[in-house]
Amino acid sequence: MSRRPHALLSLAVVAVALTGCSASTAPASSPATSSTPSVPVTIDNCGFELTVERPAERILTIKSSTTEMLLALGLGDRIIGTAFPDGPVPDQWAVEAADIPVISDFAPAQEAVLDLEPDFIYAGWESNLKSDTAGERDALASLGIGSYVSPSACKEPGYKPEKLTFDLVFDEIREAGTVFGAEDAAEELVAEQQGALEALSPSTDGLTALWYSSGTDTPYVGAGIGAPQMMLDAAGLTNVAADVNDTWASLGWESIIDANPDVIVLVDASWNTAASKIEMLTANPVTAQLDAVAERRFITVPFAAGEAGVRNVEAVASILDQLAALDAR
Amino acid sequence: MPANQMTDTTQHRPATGRRRASPWGWGVLLSALLVASIVAAICFGAADIRPADVFASVAAHLGLGDSPLSVLRDGIVWELRLPRVLTAAAVGAGLALSGAVMQALTRNPLADPYLLGLSSGASLGAVSVLLLGLGVLLPIAAFVGALAALLATLLLAGASGVLTPTRTVLAGVAVSALAAALTSFVIFWSAQGDSFREILNWLLGSLSGSDWTTVAIAGTAVLVIGVPVLFSGRLLDAFAFGDTTAAALGVNVAATRWTLLAVTALLTGAMVSVSGSIGFIGLVLPHAVRLLTGARHRLLLPLVALTGAIVLIWADTVARTLFDPRELPVGIVTAIVGAPVFAALLARRSTR
Amino acid sequence: MSAGSIGLALRGVRMSLGGRSIIDGVDLTAPGGSVTALVGPNGAGKTTLLRGVAGLLPLSAGSVRFDRDDLLQLGRRARARLVAVVEQELSAESSLSVRDAVELGRTPHRPMLAASAGDDGAVVTEALATVGMDGFADRLFDSLSGGERQRVHLARALAQQPQLMLLDEPTNHLDIRAQLSTLALLRRMARNSVTVVAALHDLTLAATYADHVVVLADGRVVAAGSPGEVLTAPIIHDVYGVQATVLQHPGTGRPVIAFAPEEDS
Repeated sequence: MSRRPHALLSLAVVAVALTGCSASTAPASSPATSSTPSVPVTIDNCGFELTVERPAERILTIKSSTTEMLLALGLGDRIIGTAFPDGPVPDQWAVEAADIPVISDFAPAQEAVLDLEPDFIYAGWESNLKSDTAGERDALASLGIGSYVSPSACKEPGYKPEKLTFDLVFDEIREAGTVFGAEDAAEELVAEQQGALEALSPSTDGLTALWYSSGTDTPYVGAGIGAPQMMLDAAGLTNVAADVNDTWASLGWESIIDANPDVIVLVDASWNTAASKIEMLTANPVTAQLDAVAERRFITVPFAAGEAGVRNVEAVASILDQLAALDAR
Repeated sequence: MPANQMTDTTQHRPATGRRRASPWGWGVLLSALLVASIVAAICFGAADIRPADVFASVAAHLGLGDSPLSVLRDGIVWELRLPRVLTAAAVGAGLALSGAVMQALTRNPLADPYLLGLSSGASLGAVSVLLLGLGVLLPIAAFVGALAALLATLLLAGASGVLTPTRTVLAGVAVSALAAALTSFVIFWSAQGDSFREILNWLLGSLSGSDWTTVAIAGTAVLVIGVPVLFSGRLLDAFAFGDTTAAALGVNVAATRWTLLAVTALLTGAMVSVSGSIGFIGLVLPHAVRLLTGARHRLLLPLVALTGAIVLIWADTVARTLFDPRELPVGIVTAIVGAPVFAALLARRSTR
Repeated sequence: MSAGSIGLALRGVRMSLGGRSIIDGVDLTAPGGSVTALVGPNGAGKTTLLRGVAGLLPLSAGSVRFDRDDLLQLGRRARARLVAVVEQELSAESSLSVRDAVELGRTPHRPMLAASAGDDGAVVTEALATVGMDGFADRLFDSLSGGERQRVHLARALAQQPQLMLLDEPTNHLDIRAQLSTLALLRRMARNSVTVVAALHDLTLAATYADHVVVLADGRVVAAGSPGEVLTAPIIHDVYGVQATVLQHPGTGRPVIAFAPEEDS
């Protein structure tokens, strides 16, 4: 993909100025939540210094994890648009999310973003805020648009989590509460999730698992330090790729067959369904010999639940439920 | 005619002994190296399997005794490692051979098997299938893409007059650029999630998808297309001083050039369809082997095919074991090794 | 083969390149076992005519006969066993060894699709010795000087064992000794019944070594005959537009063409 020429960027800036961009002058309506935001607050977000003077009112979310975070914090009415969804939101938010316009199926470009006149962008990946996507964060700031990236997705050394834990996920929920002026709702959510997590009883059978996302020739799997590892740990499963010091990794089939996992967790995405992966695993003469394939010990997790966020606890619960169902067969 | 001296003053020196090793010597040496490489490479891998068990497993599949390995580990040897090593050998041989022929036909030392838009056409076919979910097998799509690019190149080159090598190469550049742009467009338009990883495998070249089907495709192509090409050495040699000299030596220049170009394009298309476009094998190896054995194609062609097989086997062994359990696309390995080797060959050539 | 072979005979040859007429009705005879020099100004059509005779470019009309054969009716390989061509300006890079480059001359005598070389060693060695390059057999062609390369191309043509040898400016880029030895070689070949036709620029050299001289201008034969008959001051003036003084060599009696500096008043 090519970089957007500077001339075009300047044009976009001029266009915004001419049409009287309302981002910086948006009338402050009363926040929809009951909490009292302690603004202004300054946060070091992936190395970008973000100062929140008042809670954002017109938020664009990019990636499902951010949309779901705001929905979970009760801030759905402040989302004016979303982009790059990984799949449908869970049922409990379906009605609320139905009204949110999807401005792009992929990472949106700057002009589409500016056209929406958001005062804040909440992105799931750092790459969503680059000059060839929604725009560099400094450039957005100069237009009066704040931006925030899920801290677990930070790539810079010192910001990238060494190993994701549920404590970090809960911290992320609290920080989102601060940024978006919903601190009380965040505390409530964390307490609820913490309780739910503690209520789960991890498997004690000493089972091994493969977290399989995509790739037929070189499978792309959840490795030792990301959300998949965190959820497998919480479920009492041993990740066969735990030794690989990365969030995700391209493995050779040989090491997977050598490990012969007891269960395979399949990531279900609209573009790469769990069913298609089962079909592939069954058709290939080597993988068909894997115990988990031969005995069809598959567990399915939605793609969006595989990224750090509010759905991880629920995903662990689902994994344990599916595991119990497999054992009950 | 008498073997007179051309001038009285020219000193008559006795014919020096031929420094060059005999063709058979090189052939036997490289054939032995190839067999040794196959045997050795199947003992390397992420799984820790003793070489004795590896050989016993292979022997069992050939009807000699029972495999000492579990069904899964036996599968690692017979369904993963052996087909992969054999595919690497066939693809390496095919690419190196195509490269040598392309360089001779175009008299361009920078020519490679992908010259006429073949790799970008194949990539377009493959990426289209991967992303648009067309109901076609990947190798077939890549092959069709390569052939379509070749046809487009020939049509474009012939559209404005006589087909000349220069015009053909330029048309190939144009078709490559168009196919690459269309590939980028398809990726841009429809890549979701992490499907770009599979595409990257294709664009860089990878043997990780090898199985007995790819062995059959690549192996058949080498036997049916590659082996006859080995016998074209005398024809290619006649091109050493250009088309006019070749014609004066009784060679049908146009028929030879187009037949061999089409045949090597078919061969390359078959290789790309199983492995994506692995670079540098077809570009560098003909130059390297020429240094060892001289430029005669009768000798060069078989030796460069053997060398290509050996080199790609080891490059792929590195790709799948260096960062075990992770895998690299083998195209990265061939590029990292090939680029400096090519530079060294160029430096040597210019100082000679 | 008898020294009285008929040789090369062109009748009514016309050739055009890109729609432009280059050779405009040439009748020409090059007697067997002799050296015929083809002279004429730049652009006269010498190179085109030689290529037409060798079947490397098509004729639009006319016939080319050599001894009893219609050369252009022969198959490519049969013709290549009869006719060898040494081209002008062969600056091609090649990492072939000298021996391999000369062995290319055996191409029309061997099956095309063969993996093995066949035993042409003796012919190749003899051809190398004939041009005085036998010490260079294992050198790479790339590493030779221009004159050495020219001699390798001559050796390749010799290895072809032709009965008709066509040479386009074979003395280009050669120092005077190499020029003389090249032309002496052509005469030796002619004595061995090979019919030699060479395009030459240097009129004195043509006069010294050729048995026959054909003067070509604007795609037509202007004069043909023995050097003494053809290389005269009036013909040279007509064809080249220069004033020449034709002397006679005291030893051979052949013409020596000399020029006085032009007056730049």
